[in-house]
Amino acid sequence: MIRFIENIIRSAVNETIDKAVTRMIRDQYIENLFEMVPATTKVGPTNLMEIAMRANQGTPVSRPLGSPIHLSPWEKILFNPCHLFRFPTPENVGIRTSITIGHRAKKPLTISIPIMIAAMSFGGALSKNTKIALAKASTAVGTATNSGEAGLLREERDSAQLFIGQYNRGGWMNTPDKYKQLDAIEIQLGQGAQGSTFQRTAAKNIGEEFREVFCLDKGEDAVIHSRLPGVNTKDDFIQLVRRLRDETGVPVGLKIAATHHLEKELDIAVEAEVDFVTVDGAEGGTHGGSPTLQDDVGLPTLFAVSRASEFFARKGVIRDINLIATGGLVTPGQMLKAIALGADGVYIGTAAVMALVSEQMVKAVPFEPPTSLVVYTGKMTDQLDVEQAALNLTRYLNACVQEMEHVAVTLGKTAITDITKSDLCTIDPFIAKATGIQLGYISSENQDRFFTETEPMFDDYHSPYNQNLNVLPVYTESQDRETNPDKISDQV
Amino acid sequence: MDHFKDLKNTLSYIHSELNRMETMAGTLSTVEREHFKRLTNFDHRELMDIAVEEQNAARQLGTMKQMCLAMAQKIEGMKKAIDRGELGESAQHDTVH
Repeated sequence: MIRFIENIIRSAVNETIDKAVTRMIRDQYIENLFEMVPATTKVGPTNLMEIAMRANQGTPVSRPLGSPIHLSPWEKILFNPCHLFRFPTPENVGIRTSITIGHRAKKPLTISIPIMIAAMSFGGALSKNTKIALAKASTAVGTATNSGEAGLLREERDSAQLFIGQYNRGGWMNTPDKYKQLDAIEIQLGQGAQGSTFQRTAAKNIGEEFREVFCLDKGEDAVIHSRLPGVNTKDDFIQLVRRLRDETGVPVGLKIAATHHLEKELDIAVEAEVDFVTVDGAEGGTHGGSPTLQDDVGLPTLFAVSRASEFFARKGVIRDINLIATGGLVTPGQMLKAIALGADGVYIGTAAVMALVSEQMVKAVPFEPPTSLVVYTGKMTDQLDVEQAALNLTRYLNACVQEMEHVAVTLGKTAITDITKSDLCTIDPFIAKATGIQLGYISSENQDRFFTETEPMFDDYHSPYNQNLNVLPVYTESQDRETNPDKISDQV
Repeated sequence: MDHFKDLKNTLSYIHSELNRMETMAGTLSTVEREHFKRLTNFDHRELMDIAVEEQNAARQLGTMKQMCLAMAQKIEGMKKAIDRGELGESAQHDTVH
């Protein structure tokens, strides 16, 4: 019987596809469904859908989880294992994974692994259950979780052994009764996916508990201003850092979107003597930023980390100010490369949320996206099993750190923090030039010679771009083939 | 003067106990790591979760070891400051004001 039904279905499918293919071959493009394929290829599936959404809604599209464009070429950087010149770490030696943030603070923050849970706010981004699950998992592995731009959610504070809170542009954590309960304070002036633009959560999306935690009146929108209230000059910021440090004794840091003005911003952070700086690269996620802010604004995480670390080294504050990298870090390899480039630790957001819902996403798909289990406005937040979610994230974090430890072993290191730029090589000459990582094509001794000998080639390459931009473009192999087909073969 | 002698003795006691705690944390961390290895030998989901807990505990004990080390260094600094008379001066200065 089943065989008979199968045969009918196969026959029907075959007939339908035959007709469809025949029509697609015979019809002109103007009346051909196949037109969707070149149209989608030209515009891109994400852009095509977002064009339709904009046309339908008439307002900026609210895209969760950040930009799909990844501009940090982590895959072009590789670690260098060792065998004889330096021996790998014996397997019975434990790899130290802890880091301390804010050595100069009265109460430094020591975490057991170099990965923290990124700032994702209750209400503005995530549901209460999700925030509690994130806090529980971070406690289980001995790391910190971040409040995001929110008020103090009591249950989150109680579930988190180490809780970093954001002194935020909405003003919801900015009173002593709240920020004195934090283990570290992060002054939030911007984020990778949204720069420093203002944001608004409409009153219709604000539930009772949200209103309570944010101290909002009924019918009042939750507004994140583009500027931090009361901070309109450099000196205002410096005074704020000093006041918070004196009042609390905990590490006080600054979070900014990574930009090409990075060093100018960091210079002020150094003057203010912040304990840590969080740079959020252009790939950073968000609860629902507009695509233009996500795709077209900011500096990629890789270059932001490298530049910030170099700047701190030049200023002589590399031991005083911790650098936290965040923005689009998804794999343990990417996280560890950020650490090798100079970050002391990393924040993960999207990856943490995905790990959290991993086993439970079957409750949502195929009719709802997995995020409907975790975002504040999601339809299925009450179905999230908090304990299961926390367990999944705990397992994920453990697996990530273990993979990092494996790399440390093959590099002959006994601590994650001992991994540096010298443990890396790159297969991209422009990344080598920009970051100071050695080029893997040639031996360490020949690095200078290579760049001296190939200098005319680099000049040729960037001169057409340089006329207008005065910057080196990011190198891609395909671009090089197009612009200079002979030189690529010379180079290889 | 006796007051500072007492303080120094107290600091010495805390310093020696911190050193002991550091050693204990290091030893326990190694034990937990061994447990993790043994538990992962079994193809059993619940045991695997316990193994992950052990691994996390090992890392947190490693962190405690580092914290003990950092605190012991600070106490050592305070003891030296007492020896140099710096802590006394600062305390007297505070009293005057």
